[in-house]
Amino acid sequence: MMLFNLIKKDILIVKKYVLIMLVAAVLIPPFMLWRAPEYTGVLGFMLSVIFCVFMLLQYVSLKEYQFPKAATLLCATPFSRNMIVLSKYIFCIANFVACCIIYAIETLVIPGLGTVDMTLFLLMFLVTSIFIGVYLPVQYKLGYEKTKFAFVVVIMASPFILPQLMKMENVNLDFLSMFSPLLVCGSVLLFSCIVLIVSVILSMKFYGETDLA
Amino acid sequence: MNNILKVENLRKSYGDFSLSDVTFSLPEGCITGFIGINGAGKTTTLRTLLGLAKKASGHIELFGLDMEKNEKQIKNRIGVVLDDGCFYDELSLAEMKSVISAAYTSWSEQDYRRYMDMFSLDPKQKINTLSKGMKMKYALVLALSHNAELLIMDEPTSGLDPLIRSQLLKVLTDYMENGGKGVFFSTHITSDLDKIADMLIMINNGRIIFQEEKDFLLDTYRIVKGDVKALTDDVRKHFLSITETAFGFTGITKQVSEIQSFFPDAIVERPTIEDIMLANIGGYKK
Repeated sequence: MMLFNLIKKDILIVKKYVLIMLVAAVLIPPFMLWRAPEYTGVLGFMLSVIFCVFMLLQYVSLKEYQFPKAATLLCATPFSRNMIVLSKYIFCIANFVACCIIYAIETLVIPGLGTVDMTLFLLMFLVTSIFIGVYLPVQYKLGYEKTKFAFVVVIMASPFILPQLMKMENVNLDFLSMFSPLLVCGSVLLFSCIVLIVSVILSMKFYGETDLA
Repeated sequence: MNNILKVENLRKSYGDFSLSDVTFSLPEGCITGFIGINGAGKTTTLRTLLGLAKKASGHIELFGLDMEKNEKQIKNRIGVVLDDGCFYDELSLAEMKSVISAAYTSWSEQDYRRYMDMFSLDPKQKINTLSKGMKMKYALVLALSHNAELLIMDEPTSGLDPLIRSQLLKVLTDYMENGGKGVFFSTHITSDLDKIADMLIMINNGRIIFQEEKDFLLDTYRIVKGDVKALTDDVRKHFLSITETAFGFTGITKQVSEIQSFFPDAIVERPTIEDIMLANIGGYKK
């Protein structure tokens, strides 16, 4: 119950943006189908996740940065620091699940979008887990400003790094077909969960050591 | 009298500043003022004892329970008011309440509404539209609405006008009369303590200077005014501090009977808490 209220708090502090992000998550897949049908599916879903999960997390972090003493007050109440950390992860996962549900409903309603693909959801869950798994501990360790700067550097470097990654044609994932799809999907899910658990532990450790504002 | 808060050998460092073996206790049933000038270590002490800043060493006990082992249980029994409110300013009062109230097992909606009415606060109002005084009142409403046994407040009256300060002080005395076990509040506005404090703890440069009952302190210290000519080295050593002008001197002493033997005609006055605080930190020249 306490955890639910901390997630509710995150939604409240970014409530102005929640509706916009939800609308974006709803509109992006059909928009992609209309304007760029060749990218419908993976890219449409990926963009809606980026908007809903990553942008909302950014806004939550921005609000926490703008009102640092509010988190101090929360920590002066029976809310534990660990619970506050955990709520951020659950907030992100809840947003991801919302994106999955929206996309799944859209595939049923809009025929051109194809069918619900669990592999796509799992792969995107892995990407999301790795992103928040790195982002949140770094933010708890370095603070919002420094983390934002570090990620801007990464984004600016991406035009140089991505072409290099694309050239890695010799990476062959065909061996995965040797295993049952259930095993592969299970492994992806397990790996995502391990990333999240390690990340949560690190974030709790870093936030626990922080002297609050 | 039982101690509801016991702090032993608390240490914490921030750059050049450090709390050095801070030790004090709060007896049950008292309003205790935590005094000291800006930068003396009041806020650091309060934040460290609430676990908002990590202590280097020391032992903190509230209601006879170890803070480290029973943090959640203890925080459920205390009301906290931090300086400047500490809210998400874009939320409404009702929204902020819905977040905070969920943390407490004994939240009382009835008390919350009563205090909101008492302070004429509108739950629909946005926090960023409140004045500093109204924010402080709202912080006090949140701290008082879950049957807290102890109130811990950091500079609650700082920057407030005299009317709001007097309203806050009235609420604190009512809280004690209605079963509160203690109030511990830091301030550098000592006139507030003259009105309501039972006990005073003074800190300076991260060290506790004294912990005494207010009435005992006010009875022990005296301001002495007299002619500078009679101020010999023997006399000076009986004063905590002395201010000298061309017209005479003003000194603070704890040894009033000795001083009166040197200065039978001296004017002796009862000091205020501010006088005692300044004397102890060298605010008066010696």
